[in-house]
Amino acid sequence: MANELGNYKTCVSARSTDKEILKCSQDGGIVTQLFAFALEEGIIDGAIVAGPGEEPWRPQPMVAMSKDELLAARGTKYNISPNVSFIKEATRSFGLDKVGIVGTPCQMQAIRKGMLYPFGWRDVPDKIALALGIFCMENFPYQSIVQLVEDHAGQKLENVSKMNIGKGKFWVYTDRGAVVDLPLKVTHKYEQPGCHVCLDYVANLADISTGSVGSPDGWSTVFVRNAKGETVWTKAVAAGCFETKPIEQVKPGLELVTKLANEKITKNQKTIAGRASFGAGKALRNPYI
Amino acid sequence: MGLLGLLSKLFHKSGSSAKSDTGAVKMVESKRKEEKSVADKITVGHVHMSGCTGCLVSLADNYGGLLTILDRYADLVYGLTLADVRHIPKMDVALVEGSCCINDKCSVDEIKETREKAAVVVAVGGCACYGNITRFCRGGQQNQPQHESFLPIGDLIKVDVYIPGCAPTPQMIRNVCVMAYLLLKGNAEQKALATSYLKPLMDLAAKGTEACFCNLMTEVINQGLCMGCGSCAAACPVRAITHEYGKPQGQRDLCIKCGACYAQCPRSFYSFDVVNNYEAILGAINGALQ
Amino acid sequence: MSKVVEISPTTRHEGHSKLVLKVNEEGIVERGDWCSITPVRGVEKLAVGKTMEQVPKIASRVCGICPIAHTLAGTEAMEASIGCDIPDDAKLLRIILQCANRVHSIALHNILILPDFYLPGTETKINPFSPEEPVRSVAKRIQRIREIGQTIGEIAGGEAIHPSNTRVGGMYLNVSPRAKSKMYDLAKEGLVLARDQMELMLAIIKNMQKRDFIDVAGKKIAVPKELGYHNQGYMAVDPVYGSTSLDECPRWDLSRFMETRPWDWYMGEMTVDLEDKSYPVGGTTKAGTVVNPQMEACTGVPMYDGQPVEVGPRARLVTFKNFDEKGTWGQHAARQLEYTDSFYAMIRALDELDPSGSVLADEIPQGDGSLGWAANEAPRGTDVHLARVKDGRVQYYSMLVPTTWNFPTCSRALTGAPWQLAELVVRGYDPCVSCATHMIVIDDDKRIVAQKLIQ
Ligand SMILES: Cc1cc2nc3c(=O)[nH]c(=O)nc-3n(C[C@H](O)[C@H](O)[C@H](O)COP(=O)(O)OP(=O)(O)OC[C@H]3O[C@@H](n4cnc5c(N)ncnc54)[C@H](O)[C@@H]3O)c2cc1C
Ligand code: SF4
Ligand code: SF4
Ligand code: SF4
Ligand code: SF4
Repeated sequence: MANELGNYKTCVSARSTDKEILKCSQDGGIVTQLFAFALEEGIIDGAIVAGPGEEPWRPQPMVAMSKDELLAARGTKYNISPNVSFIKEATRSFGLDKVGIVGTPCQMQAIRKGMLYPFGWRDVPDKIALALGIFCMENFPYQSIVQLVEDHAGQKLENVSKMNIGKGKFWVYTDRGAVVDLPLKVTHKYEQPGCHVCLDYVANLADISTGSVGSPDGWSTVFVRNAKGETVWTKAVAAGCFETKPIEQVKPGLELVTKLANEKITKNQKTIAGRASFGAGKALRNPYI
Repeated sequence: MGLLGLLSKLFHKSGSSAKSDTGAVKMVESKRKEEKSVADKITVGHVHMSGCTGCLVSLADNYGGLLTILDRYADLVYGLTLADVRHIPKMDVALVEGSCCINDKCSVDEIKETREKAAVVVAVGGCACYGNITRFCRGGQQNQPQHESFLPIGDLIKVDVYIPGCAPTPQMIRNVCVMAYLLLKGNAEQKALATSYLKPLMDLAAKGTEACFCNLMTEVINQGLCMGCGSCAAACPVRAITHEYGKPQGQRDLCIKCGACYAQCPRSFYSFDVVNNYEAILGAINGALQ
Repeated sequence: MSKVVEISPTTRHEGHSKLVLKVNEEGIVERGDWCSITPVRGVEKLAVGKTMEQVPKIASRVCGICPIAHTLAGTEAMEASIGCDIPDDAKLLRIILQCANRVHSIALHNILILPDFYLPGTETKINPFSPEEPVRSVAKRIQRIREIGQTIGEIAGGEAIHPSNTRVGGMYLNVSPRAKSKMYDLAKEGLVLARDQMELMLAIIKNMQKRDFIDVAGKKIAVPKELGYHNQGYMAVDPVYGSTSLDECPRWDLSRFMETRPWDWYMGEMTVDLEDKSYPVGGTTKAGTVVNPQMEACTGVPMYDGQPVEVGPRARLVTFKNFDEKGTWGQHAARQLEYTDSFYAMIRALDELDPSGSVLADEIPQGDGSLGWAANEAPRGTDVHLARVKDGRVQYYSMLVPTTWNFPTCSRALTGAPWQLAELVVRGYDPCVSCATHMIVIDDDKRIVAQKLIQ
C-alpha cells in the first residue's frame, strides 16, 4: 500500500496555544483553533461543525459564525453528525461566501465529489473555503454509544465528559472523575455498517487533516495536504496559534498512523471483495466504480 | 494513477492547482490559434420537450461563463428560447430538457429526430432523465385531456449522458459542456480525461429511467453503504430529506423524483481516479472559462 | 381575398406556441390566433389528493422562468384555503424573493428581445451573444443583474430557480444578519446597474418607435404606428406583490372572472395558403397544411368582466401609476421601468426584515375544504391560483397563469400588424408558455365558474 496516508506537503505534531480552546477540545484543538483563526482572518465566514444536539452526546450539525459557537462544538462525538447536509444551506440563509467544514474522511470525499459533480449543490463548489478532515477508523449510530456507555461501561451518558478511542481501547470519562475503558472487540459489533467499505483513514482529500494517532496525549498529528491548506497553516503558525514539533521527533509517530491506515484499508478491502460474492450468485453493490 | 499522470502530462506540470489553471488556459488558447476558432467549436442545441425551461435558465446562470462557452467552445445552433432556428439541425451535442408526452405526435417526432441529428444526447435535468414531476401526470386537463402519459426520454431513445437534478445546476451543465468539447475536439489525453469524468454520467444514463428518494433506501441504506454524510439532504431541491439520528429520512410525499440525492451520494458512485484529482480537474474547467 | 399563414413554432420565448394568421393582400393581419402547443402536463389535475405542501413545489415546476410566482401563489392559495396568516418576516422574505425574480426575469427578457432591436444610429440588429463592443459590455451587465437577482433569490428562497424555502405557513428559515447584509450589498449594486440598463433599453425602444420599417429576411417591412394596440382592458392586483382572499380588501374579484374554451374563441379548420420560405429561420409552414387553432390550442380563454385582458408590467403601471403608452413599444418600456422599482421594493423590505423574527405560523390549520385564492404579480402578469384544502390534502386546484390571460389579448393585438412582425408583438408580452395550461371549465349554460366554485 503506497498511498495510505494520501498526498501531503508537510506533517507535524501540534497543539493550540489557546488555553481556552485546549480545555475542552479532543486532542490538540487543531480544528477549533484553525477555524477560529480563519474566521478572524476572513478566510472563512463561518464553519459547519458538530454542535450540541437534543440528547447528550448526540451531535447536531451547525453553522458556527463566531468563536463562541466554535467552542460549543469542540470535542469528538462518536456518532454520526451529517455535517455535509448543511453545505448548501450555509451559502443560502446563512449568507456565507466562504464556508469552512470539518468532517470525517468520508465527508471529505463527499465534499470533493460534490465539487466535481454538484448535482444538487448549485453555487456551492467555489464557496468551500476550508475543509478540515479528522482521522477516522469507524463511526457509530447514536444507539450504539448509548449501549456502550450505559450498558458496557455502566455510566449515565449525560454525566460523561469525554469519550476517546486510543491505545486499542474505547475510553469513557465522567464529570466526577471515573474512567472506564472497553476493549475494542466489544465496540466492533456496534459500528456503523457503512464504515466497513471505507478506504480512507486520514482524510486524504481534506485541505488539512488531523487526529490524535501518532502524537503524544494532548497533541495532534497534522497533515497539510494542498496549497490552500499550506497557506492557512503557515499563516496560523506564524500568528502563534500553534506549538509544533517535527513528526519525526514525536512518539509513536507516523509509523503507527501508517500501520493503522493499512489495517483499516486492508480489512475494508476484504469486506468489499466479500460483497462481490455475498449472496448465492448475487453480489452486494460496490460503490467504487 | 493513470489519470494523475495524464493530467500532469496534459498541463505539463503537476502540483499546485494555480499552475494547472494557467496550463489549461494555454492549452485551450494555443489550440484555438492553431486551428480556425470557428471550426474548433462544437455545435450544441437545446431541445425543449415537456420541461419548464428551468434547465435552460440554469444553463444561462453560468452568467459570464455562458458567454465564454459560446465564444470559444460551442455554437448554439438550436434552442427555440434563445435562437430563431425553427427546425432541429444536425449537431454534436443535444441538451434535452423535459420528458416526452407520448400522446403528442409532435413531441415524439421531435425526440426521435433529436436522436438522429445529434452525436451525443444529454438528458438535462430530472424531467428528461427520470420524468421528475411529470411522473405524476395523469391527464384529464383542458384543452388536451388526452395528454396523460409522459416518459423520460431514455424510454424512447438511447441517451448518452445524464445530468439529474431539478433544476440541474449551472456548474454541472457547464462541466458537461466543457468535457463534451474535450471529448469531441480534444487530443487523446483530453479525450481520456473527459471520458473518465463523463463515465459515471453515462453509467447513470445506462442504468435506467427511474429515480426517487427510494434509491437511497434501496441502493445505499439497504445495501449497508450509508455512512451519514448528509450529501443527499443538501442536494434535495424540495427539502424532502432530513437526517434522523444520522441517517436520511425521506418525506416521500414531498419528493419530486429528480434523482439529485442518489447521484450526489458518495456511495452511489465514486471514482478514486477522478475525485482524487479534483484540484486539477476543477483547475482545468475554471481555466477553460477564464 | 385573405390568406392564411402559420408561423410554427414561434421563437425566443419560453415554451412552444404558434401563430395562425389571416392576412389581407398587403400582408396585414386581419385576425390572428396565437396559441400554445405545449403538451398539457395537467398539474391542476395531478394536484388533487396530494398534500398542500407538495402541490406548490410541483406547481413551481410548470415554469422555470416565473417559478417564484407559482410557488408563492400556490403556497398562498393553500394558506388562503386553510385560513393561515403568516408572520411579517416571512412575508418580507417572500417580497424580497419576488423582487429578485422580477429583476432576473426582466434581464433575461432583454437577452431574448435584443435581436429584434436595432443598435441606435445603425442598421444593425443586436446579437446579444456577439463578442463585439458595445454589445459585450451590455451582455455582461445583463448577466450580472441576473446573477444579483438569482443570488438574492437563492438566499431568501433557498434556490435560485425553484425556491425551496417557502412552505405553507411561512418559510422554513429566516436569514442570518450576515445574509441580510449580503442581500443589501447586492441590491445596492444591482440598483445602479439596473438604472443604466433601463436607460439603455429605453433609448433602444425609443429608437425603434421612430423607425418606419424593420428588416425581416431582407425585406423592409413597414411598421404601423399602432403596432400591438388593442382595446382590451388591463388587470393587475398590486404594483409589486399580490393579493389573496384572506386580505381585508382583496384586489382580485372571483365573480368578475369567467372562462370560455378555445372552441368558442379561436378560429376553426383552415388551410395554409401563404408560405414564405425566406422567413427566418426555416420558413413558415408549408402551403396546403391544415391548421385548426380551435382544436390545437392547449389553453383555455380566461376573461375578466367578460373580456380577455392584458396582464403584466404595463397592466401594473396603467393600474397603479397612470402609465399610458400603448402597443408593443409601450409594453417594452413599461417592463424596463420595473427594473429600478423592483430594487427599491426589495430594499424597503430588507429595511424592515428582522433576522431574528419567527417565519413560521404558530398554528397551521389543515383545512376544511373552503375555497381560497392568491393572485401574485409575476414578471409577466397576474398569476392566480385557487385551491381547496381539506385535512391537509388538496381537493381542487387551478392556476390562471399570466400568459393564459395574455394569449387571447395578444391575439387581438395582432390585428393591423404586418404578419412578419407578429412575433415581435408576441414577444412584447414576454410569453412563458409551458405553464399556460389550465382547467377551469364553465358548463354549457355559461354559468360563471365563480358561483359554481363557491356553492
Ligand atoms: C467518529 C470519529 C472517529 C475518529 N477516529 C479517530 C481515530 O481512529 N484516530 C484518530 O487519530 N482520530 C480519530 N478521530 C479524530 C479525533 O477524535 C479528533 O476529532 C481530532 O483529533 C480533532 O481533535 P481536535 O482537538 O483537533 O479538535 P477539536 O478542536 O476538539 O474539534 C473537533 C471538531 O470536530 C467536530 N466533530 C466532532 N464530532 C464529529 C463527528 N462525529 N463528525 C464530524 N465532526 C465532528 C467538532 O464539532 C469540532 O469542530 C475520530 C473522530 C471521529 C468523529
Ligand atoms: S470509517 Fe469511513 S465511512 Fe465510517 S465514519 Fe469514518 S470516514 Fe466515514
Ligand atoms: S428538471 Fe426541473 S428545472 Fe428542468 S425542466 Fe424539469 S422541472 Fe424544470
Ligand atoms: S449521501 Fe449517501 S451516504 Fe451520505 S447520508 Fe445520504 S445516503 Fe447516506
Ligand atoms: S428526495 Fe429530493 S433529491 Fe431525492 S429524488 Fe426526491 S426530490 Fe430529488
